[in-house]
Amino acid sequence: MTRQKRRFLHKTVLVLALIAAAGFYIYPVFLMFMNSVKPFGEIVSDAISFPTTLAWENYSYVIDKIDYFRLFVNNVMITVVGIAGIVAFSSIAAYILDRRRTRYTKLAYTVIITPMLIPFQTIMITLLKSMNVLHLSGSRLGLGVQYWGFGIPMASFIFYNFMKTIPKEIDESAVIDGASTLRTFCSIIFPLLKSVTVTVIVLDVMWIWNDFLLPLLMVNSSNETKTLVLAAYTFVGQMNTKWHYAMTAMVLAVVPSILIFIFLQKYIVDGVVAGAVKG
Amino acid sequence: MRSVKWKEGLETVLFTLPAILLVTVMMYIPFFMSGYYSLTEWNGIAKEPVFNGLDNFRAILSGGSEYMGAVWFTVKYTIGFVVFTNIAALALAVALTQKFRFVNVFRGIFFIPYIMSMTIVGFIWKFIFTQGFAKLYDLTGWAFWNESWLGSPKLAFYSVVFVGIWQALGFYIVLYIAGLQAVPADVLEAATVDGAGRCQRFFKVTLPLLGPSFTTCIFMSLTNSLKVFDIILALTKGGPGGATYSATLQIYKDAFTNNRYGLGSAESILYFVFVLVVTQLVLKLFSSREVDL
Repeated sequence: MTRQKRRFLHKTVLVLALIAAAGFYIYPVFLMFMNSVKPFGEIVSDAISFPTTLAWENYSYVIDKIDYFRLFVNNVMITVVGIAGIVAFSSIAAYILDRRRTRYTKLAYTVIITPMLIPFQTIMITLLKSMNVLHLSGSRLGLGVQYWGFGIPMASFIFYNFMKTIPKEIDESAVIDGASTLRTFCSIIFPLLKSVTVTVIVLDVMWIWNDFLLPLLMVNSSNETKTLVLAAYTFVGQMNTKWHYAMTAMVLAVVPSILIFIFLQKYIVDGVVAGAVKG
Repeated sequence: MRSVKWKEGLETVLFTLPAILLVTVMMYIPFFMSGYYSLTEWNGIAKEPVFNGLDNFRAILSGGSEYMGAVWFTVKYTIGFVVFTNIAALALAVALTQKFRFVNVFRGIFFIPYIMSMTIVGFIWKFIFTQGFAKLYDLTGWAFWNESWLGSPKLAFYSVVFVGIWQALGFYIVLYIAGLQAVPADVLEAATVDGAGRCQRFFKVTLPLLGPSFTTCIFMSLTNSLKVFDIILALTKGGPGGATYSATLQIYKDAFTNNRYGLGSAESILYFVFVLVVTQLVLKLFSSREVDL
């Protein structure tokens, strides 16, 4: 066999093996979609075959029952509030911390990034208590604000490392032209941070959108404030054996993420890699 | 001149203040409160916690406590997760850096479970382990499908580890892909010219140069598996018979289900120390072994 033929054979075997592996890998997700459109009887008698009749009414039932659109709005609101604060406060802090470099900034930097070492579960008990005192629990806005505190250490760290690569001359010339510090940051520095801002947004959207434990502690008491994942969790718990409705609720909970991923795969993967390497 | 400096100082403080204030309120205050509550007996209802010194810590460390069982489970889970995730992710990353059509589609497929909520992932697999496997047993008659994958303590452990890996693998695959692509082509070429075969090139050149990727992936998989919570809650709720309680789930149960906030706080402080020591040790070990070009 010639070298070229052998290489071709190698590649064919590899691709076939990958197709098989990927097929197996994604099959559970596929199974969830398939079972979400089966009527109750079919799902119980046969969980793995294709549906013989399509029960789209599962969707109208669940959408209505869990108040899907409200949940969706809640999720968007919490995520947007969280991200906006994390990006704004972290980027401006990172800017000052890198440019001023005094004893104070050294200390401030340590204070801001050290909490990365504290696992959330270490503080969750007392956090609930202190958030009750501050009236930040039980509200969507309050939950969004809480993400600021949890997101800032990591985001500041990423922004700070990137700030170092932006030459000081750029903002110095702006200051000479008479721009204030805030103005310099907003119109000159922040636009230069675009790539790293995307990284921070990708990481934090994935985290906040799918977060479970913090919303469970903070906004689980009322249907008005629940998030998608939280509502799906409660709903699936109630639907114990009614797997057809449970599957539908699960599909509804993950479809937004999957759609966003399909459209923004490149940005998401790049952001995740950059975040892991820098973080 | 003096006033300019003063103004600058004020600005520095003002611009960093929101960040400092927020981490203080959300992280430092609860952290120190946990430290205080860990020394008390408190059910969350009584007005004031009762100071009881190191009683909570004594109760936890005296052996046979549920918490130590949960920590042991977490250690086993972490070892299984870190080892298998990194091996499988590296192998798939090597396959997915070959040149062929639709390679991005394949990469995307492996990444999809990672963008899904862990709670939902737990439910999907609960469905498969019960309904799906039952049907497969009907079809094939193989005893494998008829095992109680979530019902027996031993098998439930494997199921939980498996589902954890399934959810997260895509993340580590993309990290290793990034690492593999950063290996300079000229070094590999030089090795080829020197007569190194495929395997030799991989083990003698690529693998040592992947050092930073290993450090990142092992560190991330370590911290993530030590925190395991959502997947277990959805998949087994800690059962059967408490066999799959992770440290975090145990803290949650003691505090919010059993209303033993003092005990829960003590557990959470021990958990913090444990995570800190383990991650720093592993980080030191791995970054000291990195090879530079």
